[in-house]
Amino acid sequence: MIKFKNVGLHYGAGPEILKNLNFNIDPGSFHFLTGPSGSGKTSLLRLLLLSMRPTSGEMEMFGKNTNRLDKSALMQMRQHIGIVFQEFRLLEHLTTFQNVALPLVVRGEPESAYKSNVEELLDWVGLGHQMHVRPELLSGGEKQRAAIARAVIAKPDLLLADEPTGNVDPELSERLLHLFVELNRMGTTIILASHELHLLNKFKFPRLQLKDGGINVSH
Amino acid sequence: MSLISQLLPKPKTPFPIVPRQSIAGRTLALLVAIMTFLSCVTFGAVYLVQNSTLAWSSEVGRELTIQLQPVEDEQMLSNIRTAISLAEQTPGVSRAFELTVSDSEKLLSPWLGEQFDISAFHLPRLVIVQLGDPSLFDLEALTAKLTDAVPEATIDTHELWQQQLNAMAGTVVLSGTLALILILTATVLAIVFATGGAMATNREIVDVLHFIGASDTYIAGAFQERFLAIGLQGGLVGGACSIVFFFVASTITNAILPDQSATQVELLFGQFTLGWLGLLGLILTVVTIAILTAITSRVTVHRFLAQIAP
Repeated sequence: MIKFKNVGLHYGAGPEILKNLNFNIDPGSFHFLTGPSGSGKTSLLRLLLLSMRPTSGEMEMFGKNTNRLDKSALMQMRQHIGIVFQEFRLLEHLTTFQNVALPLVVRGEPESAYKSNVEELLDWVGLGHQMHVRPELLSGGEKQRAAIARAVIAKPDLLLADEPTGNVDPELSERLLHLFVELNRMGTTIILASHELHLLNKFKFPRLQLKDGGINVSH
Repeated sequence: MSLISQLLPKPKTPFPIVPRQSIAGRTLALLVAIMTFLSCVTFGAVYLVQNSTLAWSSEVGRELTIQLQPVEDEQMLSNIRTAISLAEQTPGVSRAFELTVSDSEKLLSPWLGEQFDISAFHLPRLVIVQLGDPSLFDLEALTAKLTDAVPEATIDTHELWQQQLNAMAGTVVLSGTLALILILTATVLAIVFATGGAMATNREIVDVLHFIGASDTYIAGAFQERFLAIGLQGGLVGGACSIVFFFVASTITNAILPDQSATQVELLFGQFTLGWLGLLGLILTVVTIAILTAITSRVTVHRFLAQIAP
């Protein structure tokens, strides 16, 4: 699903953040992306989210070399990717239901086609009773579950999560990780970035460890 | 604003992706309303002056004056009768009549007072000739006949005055058009800044839409729909205010100003009544500003999206 060949990245004239990365991600797998602060986890996720291009090397996703795709093709490919942020990034003027439905709305689906799916998913993540409230009334954990629901509603092939447990308490963090495991069991490929090793140690998944710009894949 | 919102096209999405109420949106609506008001008032003023001038010009073009130099009383009366008779025999003339001494006194009274005795001065006497059909009228033939019969007579066609009037009207129309162009240019520039500001304010929305797979075209469409609605709202409010302005101006002219001042204002602007054509012009001004808002915001939004990372 994902192939990195000698991929490097630097911002402007700055030093290389990522150096000579080589790894593959198979469909249906679950990987933790770890590394100390500033090791380039977010930069690697931005490459995977196609919001940046590598400054060297080649990146292949879904069987296509992303270096050769124009902006509109990249945006189309992004419809196969879901993303969860540490800061949730829900739209404050929309309700939970509307935030979760947004990926389907921008694909032009009519409300009648997605209404029951969104309601079902919100029930599944435990937000059935908070469907019509705005994010300002949700707790941190509820916001993150809404963000996860938004990321998976369009059934993406790949789900990226950038420190999804960073803003929630330890108990909820573990429950959220179980939620990701459930999604992976249903067939979604997942790459989850986190520096909370004590939490990750509770799960046996391969790790992409970033250090000094390089990557080490451990199984 | 809520009544106007109901008249606007319904958005394609079941809920507004770009927030309806934002400070930048309200600022843009107010800006468009002010610019539309200024444009409509400028257009209306130019339209009224142009219409008054055309009416004046056509009225003056249908009238000429025969001046009879002062001679002895009896001879003068004979000259007046001859001039009227010759004028009435000329094709195209509908009526010719003498401007009596009392008519002349009334005309001069605003400057010389009511007690002024015109007979103390040797002023020329005037015969007014009104044309029914100016195309049939032969000025040279009348001049020749008049010169033969009354050598003291001269004909004034008001041509010079008419030229000056047209030149004045032309200057007003040109100045008004230039002012309108400047207002529209300022509107475009202001919309560019306001749209840029609104996009920057809503950057988080743009980023989230990008991350969930929305294309630039979709995002631009969502913002453009919002900006068009804002432009139409502002335009309609500005246009409505300008109609109220002309109504109030007309009321003030008729009811508050003293008769003489009102007459002078009316001479320049007519009755302050725009009529159907004037109203159509105001509607076109509103539509032009709404279209300008839509086009300008579209270009600005696309430029903004092209500059940021996908």
